[in-house]
Formats: sequence, structure tokens, C-alpha cells
Amino acid sequence: MFDIALADDGTVIVEGRLDAAQAVKAQAFLDQVEGQCVLDLAKLEYISSAGLGVLLKTHKRLMGVGSGIKLVNVNNHTHDIFRYSGFDKLFEIVPAGI
Amino acid sequence: MQQKFKRDFNELKNIVMMTEAVFRELGLNPALRNIVDLATEELFVNMVTYNTESTEDILIEMAPHPLGLEVRLTDYDVERFDPTRAAPVDVNAPLDERSPGGLGLYLVMKMVDSIHYEYRNRQSKITFIVDRK
Repeated sequence: MFDIALADDGTVIVEGRLDAAQAVKAQAFLDQVEGQCVLDLAKLEYISSAGLGVLLKTHKRLMGVGSGIKLVNVNNHTHDIFRYSGFDKLFEIVPAGI
Repeated sequence: MQQKFKRDFNELKNIVMMTEAVFRELGLNPALRNIVDLATEELFVNMVTYNTESTEDILIEMAPHPLGLEVRLTDYDVERFDPTRAAPVDVNAPLDERSPGGLGLYLVMKMVDSIHYEYRNRQSKITFIVDRK
């Protein structure tokens, strides 16, 4: 199961498993986002390199127009993946529980 | 346990179901699930994406190992491609030098405890072990 949706406050809620089968859906959604983007990953259970590619592509596009992606409520496993990938140096990341 | 999967990303949900069943049957630590899922997905996706000359299904086998779990993926009728020798990724590069893709095999090498590749009779076999500790 995977879902991505806009909350009332403008935060993008990402839920479930962001794998290679779901990357197209996630990319199509994020391609519509303009300006500063906050992604709430509290309900993200799993992310693979295909999902990382979606985040990176979107972040680069938004940084190009002076904004970017902020990742919030990042759980330990996802944070490990971000750290191994060097994403902790590229994105503003707020771990879960803060 | 072993199962064959079509060369289609939509098979990922079925691979996850297989992994779930293996973990349940062997009573493995659920904390290892994401590592097994990630390594299996990345290797499967790599085979589907790059071994396009084959129409054969991909075999995935999962079995208990003294250290934890052993997973083997076999791709039939393909050219040699050793994922353990994939080009390195500079994870310290600045944003403008990073591009989507290339991270999958890097993450596999980083997260599994051992990995082995063999190629024989046009079959690519890659085996990795995830330590229960």
C-alpha cells in the first residue's frame, strides 16, 4: 500500500511503501508541487532507491527556484537510509519525536 | 521457500508477501525486514531493468542460515553482470552533482552482511546474508 496526499495545512503526507512500483505515482504527485515543500514521513514504512530518486529529483527542481523539500517525522529506519545515501547532507531532516 | 516472479515491478508486492511469510515461519526479528526487503527489491529491480534480453521469470529463494537469513536471486538466460562490482557512488557529493539512480546497489552493499555473485550457463545468481544480530 502506498499513498501520497496534501493535508489541509499544505504538508504532503506520504504513507506506506515507496518502492520501484510506486515511484511513478509519487513523482507524478510531487511534479505538481510548487514552492517550499514539507513531506511528513511519519507513516512511511519503507523506502527504496527508487523512492530516494523521486525525493532527489523533486528537491533539485525546487532548489532551482529557491525552495526545496523538508522531511519531517522521519523514523529510525528511514533515517538510516537517508544517512547511508548522504541525503542527511542534502535535505533538512527532522526525526520523529521532535 | 522459493518462488518465481515475472519481470515486472508490480511483482514487488508479491515478493514482500513471500518475505513476510518466511519471517513468520522462521520467527525472524521483524527489525530485519526492511533490510531484506530493500536488498531483495534493489537486486530484483536491477535484473528487470538491465537484463532486458531475457523473458524468463526470476527465481527468489529464502532459507535459514546459521547467521540469520540467506536470500538468493537467480536470473536465467542473461549476460554476466556482477552487481557487487557496480560503480561506486559519491554520497558526499553536493546536490548539483547528485542524480537520481545508482544508489540501489550501493545501499545493498552497505546493508547486507555478506554478498556473493556467480555466473554459469547464462545464469546470474546473487546470494546475500542478513545477520539476525
